[in-house]
Parts: sequence; C-alpha cells; structure tokens
Amino acid sequence: MGEEPTTTPTPTQTPTPAPAASDDPYGIRKDLDDPITLVVVWIAVLGLALLTVGLSSWIGPTRYTLPLQLAIACTQAGLVAYHFMHLKQGDKVVILTALSSIFWMGILIVLFLADYKTRHMIIGG
Amino acid sequence: MSASTHSPVLKHHFEDLGQQHACERLGIWMFLATEVLFFGGLFGAYTVYRLWYPEEFILASSHLNRTIATVNTVFLITSSLTMTLAIRSAKLGDRSALIRNLLITAALGTAFMVMKGFEYKIDFQERYVPGRIFQEEHDAAFRAVFPTSGPALTREQAEQYFKEHPEAHQRWAWELVLHNYGKDPNDPDYRDPGKMQLFLLFYYIMTGIHGLHIIIGIGCILWLVWEARRGMIPPENYSTVEVVSLYWHLVDAIWLFLMPLLYLAGAGMHHH
Repeated sequence: MGEEPTTTPTPTQTPTPAPAASDDPYGIRKDLDDPITLVVVWIAVLGLALLTVGLSSWIGPTRYTLPLQLAIACTQAGLVAYHFMHLKQGDKVVILTALSSIFWMGILIVLFLADYKTRHMIIGG
Repeated sequence: MSASTHSPVLKHHFEDLGQQHACERLGIWMFLATEVLFFGGLFGAYTVYRLWYPEEFILASSHLNRTIATVNTVFLITSSLTMTLAIRSAKLGDRSALIRNLLITAALGTAFMVMKGFEYKIDFQERYVPGRIFQEEHDAAFRAVFPTSGPALTREQAEQYFKEHPEAHQRWAWELVLHNYGKDPNDPDYRDPGKMQLFLLFYYIMTGIHGLHIIIGIGCILWLVWEARRGMIPPENYSTVEVVSLYWHLVDAIWLFLMPLLYLAGAGMHHH
C-alpha cells in the first residue's frame, strides 16, 4: 500500500506475462504434427491394407480369414485414430467420447447376437 | 475477456481460444460417436446374416471387383495423410500449403467416387444387382440347363454350353447354376441365390451410405478451400480444418472395415 506510487503507471495491465514472451499465445503450435511421423503412419496403414488383400487372396476363405482381417482392420483404425485423429494429444474428454462410441457399439452388437444366436434354442426347444 | 487473450476468431461465449478449440473437437467427436452407432447398426445386421449364411456371403463377395476396391483403399488412406497435413499447414499459417493439401484431399476423394461409379457400372453390366435383375439373370442361366420343355442338359453338357456361349450369361450366374447342379436346396453345399442377394443388399447399402459420406466430406473440404482463400482460416482458426478432418478420418476408418467384410470375404476363391 505504501509502495503504490511506484507501480501506478501500469495498473492491472498485464495479469499474465506469457503472451509477450511467446509467439504462440494460444498454444496452437503446441501439438504440431511431425510430418515424418505422419508419413510413417501412412505407410504402415497402407502396408496393412495391402497385407490384408494379399493374405486374404493367399489363404482364401478359411475359419481364420475373418479374425485375421478384423485384427488388421482394427490395427489400421487404431493407427488412424491415434495419429491422424490426434487421440495421442491426450484430451481426456475426447478419448472418453471415442472409447464410449466403441463401447456403445459393442453393446449394440452383443445384444443383437444375444437374440439371434439364441433364438433357435427357445423356438427349437 | 482480457484484451491480451482476445482474438477476432474467438466466439464471445468462450473464455479463450483453447477452450473454444477443445469444445469444437468434443462437439465433432460426439457427432462421430453417433456415426459409429449409425454404421454399427449396419455392421451388426451384417454380422447376424454373415453368421447365418456364411457360404452364400463368401460366394457372393467373391464376384465383387477387388481391384477397384484396393485402388480406392489407397486413395482414401492417402487422403487421410494429406488431410492431416492440411491441419499442420493451417497451424503454421501457410495458406498456400493449406489450400494445396485440401485440394489434393478433395481430388483423392473425388477419384474414389469416380472409381466407385465405374464399379457400380460394371456391377450393373454384370447384372449383379439384387431383386428382379439378379433373379432374371439367374433364371436365364438355370433355364438354359433345365428348359421348361425338353430334357435337361447333363452337367458336362451344361459346362460345354456355358463355355461356348460366354456372352449369353454372366459368369456369376452360370457358376452358381453349375455349383448347384443336381443339389437339393436342403443340401448343405447348395448355395441359395436369395441369400446371395442379401449379401448384395448389404454391399449396395453400406458402400452407398459410405459414398454419401465421402460426397459430404468433399463438400466440406471444398468449403474449407473457399474459406482459406478468403483468409478466414488463420492459425487461430485451425480447428475448423481439424473438425472436418476428424469426420474425414472416420469415413476412412469405416472403409477399412468395409473392405474386408464386403470385398475380401470371398477373396482367393478359385473361379473355374
């Protein structure tokens, strides 16, 4: 209170000194993608796509074909979601929303199958 | 709020740009969750019918055009890369790179749809379309072997006939007739044409709805190009690009599942 005269020229002008020091005041370039990483992910997803086409044509329709194809597709979708859709940036609410969509779809398909895969047990006796 | 954090891009109901960007991301992700459920219904229905009629689904899939589908996969995955690079360009304030990346993405999406158009055209030329068209084509091949008046051809005669008249019948139709020759519909090795048409319904509905999403995505990307040209996408507004990109990647990711379920189910079956 006694020192007030010394600080009067700039009263409450700069509550946070950060913007002056940074050329990125809004944190926009904080999570900038590394183009090399993006290209590596692109090659990986593309490689997996060609792998699933090649493998499916090679082994043909066996009992292992569909699980293998789905495992590859899930890996591809995971790479796309993590890198291209920026789940790696770790926004918790976004990750929760993304996981919830998988969770609800899981319920949807499990309840579908709970009906259709058990119907004959009741009707057939 | 305070003058130091205010940007012309900031909408008045947000505290700051960080909050605005987070809200925009969350908003589009909520929408994507509904999209996952929307396609989830189709995937669920597909799962039920595939489990019920695995052989017919595999056989019906084997006649789809895998070459076009593979090329289209390459287009979509590459478009996801250029879309993500567009966000980077927007964040760096590199307007010409932003517009270039967006235009490449839109071009790849358009190439996807053009190929899809060719594919549908081939399917229709092959009369591989559920309903009356499929039925007529199948019945024509069936009646060539089992005429309503006169004696039926033997299996060997039927093979000979189809070989000598390659233009008269579609390959899928005569292969199906030959496969079912002499088999009772209760035979586990009999392939029901009706169940094959069920697969084709999934094929047209799922690829059709996916294609509609691609068209909407191309529209959104071209709108971004328009906005970028007008100077409406400064770095602070990069999240507009990200919102469209998240939608675009989801449509790409859905295709990564359509590819094995529709096109690769019957890959590697030997056509003789």
